[in-house]
Amino acid sequence: MKRLLQLLSMAVLALTLSAPALAGEGGRTPLPTIPAAKGDQCVEDTADMRRNHMKYLKHHRDETMHQGIRTEKYSLKQCLECHVPAEGSMAAGGKESEGHFCVNCHVYAGVTLDCFECHATKPETTAQFHPLVSPAAMKAERPDSNGLLNRLVGVTENKTGVAHE
Amino acid sequence: MSEHKQPDLARRELLGRGAAIAAAGVTLAPGVMLYGVAQAKPADEPVSSKVRWGMLVDTTKCSSGCNACVEACDKEHGLGNEQHSRDGQRTQYIRKVELRHKFTGATHSLPVMCQHCETPPCVDVCPTGASFKRADGIVLVDRHICIGCRYCMMACPYKARSFVHEALTDQRPHTPRGKGCVESCTLCVHRVDEGREPACVEACAADGSRAIIFGDLNDPNSEIAQRVKTYASSEIRADLGLNTGVRYQGI
Ligand code: SF4
Ligand code: SF4
Repeated sequence: MKRLLQLLSMAVLALTLSAPALAGEGGRTPLPTIPAAKGDQCVEDTADMRRNHMKYLKHHRDETMHQGIRTEKYSLKQCLECHVPAEGSMAAGGKESEGHFCVNCHVYAGVTLDCFECHATKPETTAQFHPLVSPAAMKAERPDSNGLLNRLVGVTENKTGVAHE
Repeated sequence: MSEHKQPDLARRELLGRGAAIAAAGVTLAPGVMLYGVAQAKPADEPVSSKVRWGMLVDTTKCSSGCNACVEACDKEHGLGNEQHSRDGQRTQYIRKVELRHKFTGATHSLPVMCQHCETPPCVDVCPTGASFKRADGIVLVDRHICIGCRYCMMACPYKARSFVHEALTDQRPHTPRGKGCVESCTLCVHRVDEGREPACVEACAADGSRAIIFGDLNDPNSEIAQRVKTYASSEIRADLGLNTGVRYQGI
């Protein structure tokens, strides 16, 4: 338990600091890759978004669903607009290694309830599913807490932090 | 959040009567009218019960064998991407139904989709509150809440709902769909909120049939309100008293 807490606090610390700086060679902890986004600033501070994005999204989702409020701030569609290139971060553009902004972190943090079992993973033009949540990949094992621990303790074969097939 | 505002029936009648004295569209030539185009509501404004979205299907203009609305719907919502489901399990938001009167032999072809009931049985039976009706009359499934029990499918008299049996890929951004949830025609709510018409209505018009018109039944100046006021139209299974938003002419 103590070890788990230690590891978790490590992960939080690592996430709070600038990821690319730590993710470089020699970093002891594997970190998720954070692909670059459009624009300079997210709708809230980065730290706030890291902690609270799910709350903002959930609040906005209910307003959209039930009241037809379709403002862009806090909408999942808008997250993807900025964070995921329409022309396939996975396929086109040679950015495959960078992976998907949301999915990278969710896999890293072991978040299995993500939005992408139902929601498109890309903005309009080429709405497609990330290979990770394709039916084939869904059959593959999701990282359980042990798997996650293993990763955190230094299973390094997967440098991008994403379980590509 | 998900409080269901049921429009007041008495008020509806009053509005209906109001329509008789309200100004109609501009007459350009005898029989040719110019109707105001529905304005998109501002994105930050909640939908209001002043509006009741509806559709009117003129079955005399709908031809047997034409499938334009169904194809447009499948394309719009990214339907038909099930890999393992049997045909009977695949999602259908809209389907063509062929009718034949046993005695007279008269035939009709008509599209049937969720009828967007004013008093929807699907909403009555839903144990979770996932099935709900928006203030503007559009009946939806909140798939964040739906547990996939399928009571609503049993309750719907129009067989309008489908259940997703398998993990899906390639969703459209405006129509999230996934395994374990029930879904049905959304009246293209994502378009309606932008002031556009549903995909089936657009496709039918583009095909030259113009058998389906869409509009605000509560706005006395809208084409649909004028049409239902002027011509006899009916609901399917009117005996159920659901006051559907989708009405049919010619059956
Ligand atoms: S047609 Fe069926 S699914 Fe649509 S509102 Fe009526 S009962 Fe519900
Ligand atoms: S399947 Fe979903 S929407 Fe239908 S009754 Fe059950 S919970 Fe409600």
